[in-house]
Amino acid sequence: MEKGEFAIIGIGEVPTGNYPERSEFEIAYTVSRMAIQDAGINKDEIGAILCAQHIMSNPDNDYNTEMVFGRLPEAIGARNCRVTCMTSSGGASSFSIRKTAEGILRSGETDTVLVVHAQRFSQFTANEQAKYFSVAGSDVEWEVPYGMTYNSLAAMITQAYMAHTGTTIEQIAAVCVACRKWACLQPNAMFNQKELTIEKVINARMVSYPLTTLMCNVLGDGGSAFIMTTAEKARRVCDKPVYILGEASDYSHRTITRAKIRDFNQLVDFLAPIAREAYERAGLGPEDMDIYEIYGSYPVIHLMIMDSLGFVEPGRSGALVEAGETSPGGKYPCSTNGEAMSFGHTGTGVGFAMLVESVRQLQGKAGKAQVPGARFVIENCGGGAFMDCHFTVLGTEIPG
Amino acid sequence: MNKEHIDINAIKAMLNLSDEDLKKPLPKPTTWSKPFWEAAKQHRLILRKCSKCGYIDHPPYLYCTNCHADEHEWIEASGKGTLAAYAINYFGVPFPFWADLPYVVALVDLPEGVRMISNIVECEFGELKNGMELEVVFDDVSEEITLPKWRPVKK
Repeated sequence: MEKGEFAIIGIGEVPTGNYPERSEFEIAYTVSRMAIQDAGINKDEIGAILCAQHIMSNPDNDYNTEMVFGRLPEAIGARNCRVTCMTSSGGASSFSIRKTAEGILRSGETDTVLVVHAQRFSQFTANEQAKYFSVAGSDVEWEVPYGMTYNSLAAMITQAYMAHTGTTIEQIAAVCVACRKWACLQPNAMFNQKELTIEKVINARMVSYPLTTLMCNVLGDGGSAFIMTTAEKARRVCDKPVYILGEASDYSHRTITRAKIRDFNQLVDFLAPIAREAYERAGLGPEDMDIYEIYGSYPVIHLMIMDSLGFVEPGRSGALVEAGETSPGGKYPCSTNGEAMSFGHTGTGVGFAMLVESVRQLQGKAGKAQVPGARFVIENCGGGAFMDCHFTVLGTEIPG
Repeated sequence: MNKEHIDINAIKAMLNLSDEDLKKPLPKPTTWSKPFWEAAKQHRLILRKCSKCGYIDHPPYLYCTNCHADEHEWIEASGKGTLAAYAINYFGVPFPFWADLPYVVALVDLPEGVRMISNIVECEFGELKNGMELEVVFDDVSEEITLPKWRPVKK
């Protein structure tokens, strides 16, 4: 990808939360129309529609099968759609699907791609969800038999990170407090009614020491969509296109025991080079970023991503968060939608939510959460049991 | 942290769970992992070592992940390890594990250069410390399956 070769020109999003009556199909159709309207294009301009994977399947009417079998172009009346497919890499899907979109745009088959995510967890029982996530996050042969869970993995990483960096449990909790502050400014966030306090987060029920319930993300129903196009078309049809300026990726492992960087304490050695590459490709640096849209899903990962972004000394991110510097009004706005912990975890959709929020901020449409004059954002996503990481620098102008 | 009493039968009735829902998930050995689990049953800890390049793979895969050779041997591990990181599960685990709460899951480093996720047993929570020395113990969880677990080395 050349710097600024592609752009996002429109977004759609529904509120995240517990909405059992709102089907995943309804979400997909709704956010598609919203994104088309927001982009100010005609639906017949869309030449490709890419869907993200729905987590867990309903055997009576399976969303993934329907999308793979071409339901969406028909349902939204995209008469000139030529290509449709599903692209998934779990939590990293927002990135892999965007790379797919870039490939399609570059092939010349079309100059307009619609990307859609939808998820409804609330149709599944607590036991069904528990069963799915007990094997999704952990290795079924080597970890699950020991009672390992996603939360335990995050707890282990937290424990090791705290021991190594001297980060306190108060600082870990401060991440949740900061994310909630942002979420309270977001109409689509799952938890946007009441701010948290460090005491409340620390004193919540212990899930997996040292993590309490309020340090773990919560699953919610939701979805979003965006329209991607070439820079040339973007300039023609959109007042404020959001250009993709630099991207970089790396893969680490499936099971944590095989992670590329063995030392939990040094995860920054895996993450920082990726961020650096994304900055370099954009021709920008950490100090140029107005917002850091971090998808950590747990406070410790949020801090590790911060550590890798180049604006804070690794290991000191907790202190910065505790001082309020990542909160609304702070010097380094981070995760302005509240990320998975307060916006809600919509399966493969957390990265989509971060990307959509990046676009909203850069286009100056973020309402109460707006960071004044935001021009450049770096955002990240990752999937599996912290299997990979992808950084993207976005901006409203293409630096020379 | 107090040990909260959990009545698994009450939970079972409340959530309408079947006996199957409460059965612990056990490893289903694959062609390439079978020797590991057969040895574990005999209370031996073995690791897959490539005969070509000497790389030790754990978890093992179909062929050497370093050089793609098939030829390999299974070596006896020392049975020693160190604690790299841990978590103590109190809540929110799959239902079959509710009766065990609270319990420790950990990342264990083996001197052979590989790591394992396992449980730390025979250890007070207050004694857990990253870097502490561990030794393997074998838990016969079913007739077919024995899980290697770890406990502190007694000084």
